[in-house]
Amino acid sequence: MDVIESEGLTKRFGDVLAVDNVTFRVREGEIFGFLGPNGAGKTTTINMLITLMRPTEGSARVAGYDIIKEPDKVRKKIGVVFQDPTLDRRLTGWENLYIHGRLYGISSRELKLRIKELFEFVELKGWENKIVQYYSGGMMRRLEIARALLYNPEILFLDEPTLGLDPQSRAKVWDYIREIKSEEGMTIFLTTHYMEEAEKLCDRVAIIDYGRIIALGTVEELKSKVGNEIIYLNTTLDGQEKIFIERLRSLDSIRDLKVLKDGIISLSVNNAPETIPKVLQEAQRLEVEIREVRYLRPSLEDVFLQLTGKGLRDEEATFFDHVRMRRIRMRRGGRR
Amino acid sequence: MKRFIRTVHIMWYRQIKRFLRAKSRVIGSIVQPIFWLIFFGLGFSGTFRTMSGGMNRNIDYLPFLVPGVVMMSVFFGSFMSGISVIWDREFGFLKEVLVAPVSRDATILGRALGDSTTSVIRGILILSLASALAPSINLAGIPVVLVSMILVALSFTSFGIIIGSKMRSMEGFQLINTFLSMPILFLSGAFYPVQTMPTWMRAIAMINPLTYGVDAARIALTGTGVNSLIADIIMLLVTSSIFVSISAWVFRRTTIE
Ligand SMILES: Nc1ncnc2c1ncn2[C@@H]1O[C@H](COP(=O)(O)OP(=O)(O)OP(=O)(O)O)[C@@H](O)[C@H]1O
Ligand SMILES: [Mg+2]
Repeated sequence: MDVIESEGLTKRFGDVLAVDNVTFRVREGEIFGFLGPNGAGKTTTINMLITLMRPTEGSARVAGYDIIKEPDKVRKKIGVVFQDPTLDRRLTGWENLYIHGRLYGISSRELKLRIKELFEFVELKGWENKIVQYYSGGMMRRLEIARALLYNPEILFLDEPTLGLDPQSRAKVWDYIREIKSEEGMTIFLTTHYMEEAEKLCDRVAIIDYGRIIALGTVEELKSKVGNEIIYLNTTLDGQEKIFIERLRSLDSIRDLKVLKDGIISLSVNNAPETIPKVLQEAQRLEVEIREVRYLRPSLEDVFLQLTGKGLRDEEATFFDHVRMRRIRMRRGGRR
Repeated sequence: MKRFIRTVHIMWYRQIKRFLRAKSRVIGSIVQPIFWLIFFGLGFSGTFRTMSGGMNRNIDYLPFLVPGVVMMSVFFGSFMSGISVIWDREFGFLKEVLVAPVSRDATILGRALGDSTTSVIRGILILSLASALAPSINLAGIPVVLVSMILVALSFTSFGIIIGSKMRSMEGFQLINTFLSMPILFLSGAFYPVQTMPTWMRAIAMINPLTYGVDAARIALTGTGVNSLIADIIMLLVTSSIFVSISAWVFRRTTIE
């Protein structure tokens, strides 16, 4: 069953087309991710789905209810953790949860038990009676997650749940999210601009850029779109390049070729170790200088890069810097 | 209905909790009106006696001023409710309220009642301190003062909420506050009687809800006033229900855009 069905959802702010004709479905019990860079329209999409903004065009059904015609019913089914904190900073953590629980109609007695449980779940035990103002950013985030879970919503919306958190806190939040999914079977809709987060958590991912969904599928499906492996060539631009590119295009083992900025060429291939010598041969023959060659197993980052020709995170850093950073992370004993 | 009351109650609880946390603000908001009473009241009382002529021959300025200052503090405290709406927008709590599956009428009414409660409590504290300064006031009138304080508070918290919901910045609210609060205060009969105002001022005073609150409190505490007590209370009932309804209407349409 689909618990979110979006049909041509569109939001315009004056001249800015923040969300452009977005259509997708979220299945019951899955973690569905919206992955996109800053300003892609992630928050705006969430705001429409949770009934806080009216779509300019299109509509959606959330938990079976129309977001425009039945906002009250939608609100009863959802929990939200907003991108920016929405806590009352002058009150204690406990009071914040208590007020929330009462707004959601939980009886006082049950609420007290739930609050105790949840403070333990997000590891904030002992902080119940401290004013929220004195919590750290990561603690506020965890408190907000606890708050959203008070009332067992059918669908949990998380807008960049780990934005600005240090690696430890981020890992913790990921654990909570996995636990919520496995124990409660809740459907989770999350947005992120960390590809790692999308890869690690999401069953299916929609990549969004300039308000439009440019790819949607499981992480594996998306990766297979760009080929199994990607070779990046850092070349000098000296006029020979055109012929070189045409030669490369004619090679059988190269499935796709894209010229990115600063003379960087990306090739999607089935087998990089076999293809690289062929590429270098061609380069030598045509006297194209190749400064650097790297190859990677594709990540969502590469999918994004292939689809849009730009990096996902920091557009300023050159792409090779980015690749380098990731290799360093890998060497330090990361996941890959 | 049960849900509605529960929502009103929890929003009321939140406003009260916040109020109790802001101790320095509470003390400031009590000290200031007392200074008004002392410096303005005692300083003016000599002049006032000769000026006021026939109408208020029998009363001193200080007892005259007490209901005015009490209502002033209720008015200021209530109107500032609008600021907290802007704060909530700024600090995000507004979203938490807007996305909750509850009646918006209930949330905004709870908030208005919460802020009204705190400004009425402040009013009572000031009144009890003031009664020490002006022992001649009639303490038997306190229940009536209480009723009019509540109605004034409801009117002006709702008014503040209406303005606060429309404003996007603290500065904007402060600007409106500057333009509105002085006229509302001075054209209410709080400091000098409405009858001796120029005609145009009196005309404005007559559409000012605070005028009726001050008048009702003054009748209750000193026995003299402009209108009849019943008329004052009816006017306050009418204005507070109008403002409460408008604030609910405005809040129902509030978005985060
Ligand atoms: N209230 C608003 N008024 C005008 N423009 C807006 C408003 N909200 C968002 N926008 C614009 O809409 C676009 C999408 O914004 P949105 O906040 O949805 O992006 P996002 O994907 O959540 O980005 P981020 O990762 O930075 O949170 C941006 O260009 C933004 O400037
Ligand atoms: Mg966002």
